[in-house]
Amino acid sequence: MNIIEAKNISFAYRVLNKHHTSLKTLVRDFLHGRISIEDYVAIKDLSFEINKGETVAIIGKNGAGKSTLLKILARVIKPTTGSISITGQVAPMIELGAGFNAELTGRENILFYSSLLDRDINRVKPRINEIIDWAGVADHLDYQLRTYSTGMVARLAFSIATDEIPDILLIDEVLSVSDGEFAIKSRQRLIEIINSGCTVIMVSHDLKTVAELAQKVIWIEKGEIKMVGLPTEVIAAYQASGS
Amino acid sequence: MRAKKVSLYSLTGFSKNNLQLLRLLIQQELTLRYKRSVIGIGWTLLNPMLTSFVLWIVFSFLFVGKLEAGQQFAPYLMAGVLLNAFFNQGLLQAANSIAANGGVLTKVSVPPRIFAFAASLAAFINFLIGLIPLAVVVYLSGQTFTIAFPLIFVIGLFMTFFTAGIGLALSVIFIRFEDAKNIVNVLLLILIYLTPIFYPIGILDDRMQQIVGFNPLTSFLDAFRWAFSDNATATWQDFLYLALVSITTFAIGNLFFKRRWSKTIAML
Repeated sequence: MNIIEAKNISFAYRVLNKHHTSLKTLVRDFLHGRISIEDYVAIKDLSFEINKGETVAIIGKNGAGKSTLLKILARVIKPTTGSISITGQVAPMIELGAGFNAELTGRENILFYSSLLDRDINRVKPRINEIIDWAGVADHLDYQLRTYSTGMVARLAFSIATDEIPDILLIDEVLSVSDGEFAIKSRQRLIEIINSGCTVIMVSHDLKTVAELAQKVIWIEKGEIKMVGLPTEVIAAYQASGS
Repeated sequence: MRAKKVSLYSLTGFSKNNLQLLRLLIQQELTLRYKRSVIGIGWTLLNPMLTSFVLWIVFSFLFVGKLEAGQQFAPYLMAGVLLNAFFNQGLLQAANSIAANGGVLTKVSVPPRIFAFAASLAAFINFLIGLIPLAVVVYLSGQTFTIAFPLIFVIGLFMTFFTAGIGLALSVIFIRFEDAKNIVNVLLLILIYLTPIFYPIGILDDRMQQIVGFNPLTSFLDAFRWAFSDNATATWQDFLYLALVSITTFAIGNLFFKRRWSKTIAML
């Protein structure tokens, strides 16, 4: 069963030839006739399918359109043309800790972050102890988040995001930024999630992790799909292309 | 044909969990602002009192005799300060809320309008808290409260819609153009002088009175002063006008936001 089905999706937006960050320069350039409109195409004509329970990695160079695709998968933006159907709840784990508020306590942040992920906070409340135990921040629950170390924030965010296993989990370079012990722990958690039947989509530059975890790899270049297939084949071709 | 279920959630595009988020955001907006100060939320009470006191010292010499019979300058002034703070705070916080939460909005699928609504609703609640010192001032001036008092909640609700609508429209403009904020600040300053906040409208000549009368804020203020302690006059037509203005503004603001959002998010 296809949990995600993308048909010829593109994302483009019209921009002025020069990026005007102020009204002043816009008016000035308009008066001088220096304004024209261009289409900026971030991704074009992508078609792919992702099965339920599959672990898929998206690879490609910086600026290839990976983040745009991830935003579409997270339902943050809609493709400008084409159609995409995504079935089920999507939990984005993109940039750990985005959405945290440093002035709030750990407890308040757990509820707030869960709420941002469209979860019912009345169901999160009884889970708080498990969340902080996994993250190892139990002693700091009622302290403001600004007193936490970077590692603690990352662990807490990871713990909240993975507390409820969603239908689809989106991961952007999350594991590569973490320190030793947490890297091992979070990888274990990730493997548990993969084995539980959750569909996992990850974007990563870490080809070793990709080869290890993914069942399918989508290689994107300049906004288009270059190759889709088994990790070993796609990674080999990707490396051979000199990237 | 399949019947589509209509509920509060389907109409607003918000889920039940989104309403929980709205509540958390309002709580944050109300408590975080003064978190690091000693008296905390007490500032919400003190702030309008101090501002009004300063303005009262400055303007009471000029305007005390200029009000209509039965009206008192101190509650008149403070009502103006409170409503103006509601308008300014609701509008600017709503307008800034989208950019301030850009980091989240580009990663998590959450209706962006929630952040603007939370800001306007928080300003409404601050306004309600400010009614307590206003009540004290009304009492000290020897005035009585009117039976129209509950209408203040209606006025506040209209103002919430009004500020959320303008705030939403401005939020996408603020993200697009960094100097738009300065222009809006100047416009707001002009608007303050075109609203009878600290002066009685009677001191203006006929032409200026007409211009000031066009300003929807003047109608808001008249209705509020009338409902609270009879320091102005307002009729049911004024309320109809306020309902029309606030709901139209809200609808246009939402529509504009919706149309611009997909382009705006690419810039966040």
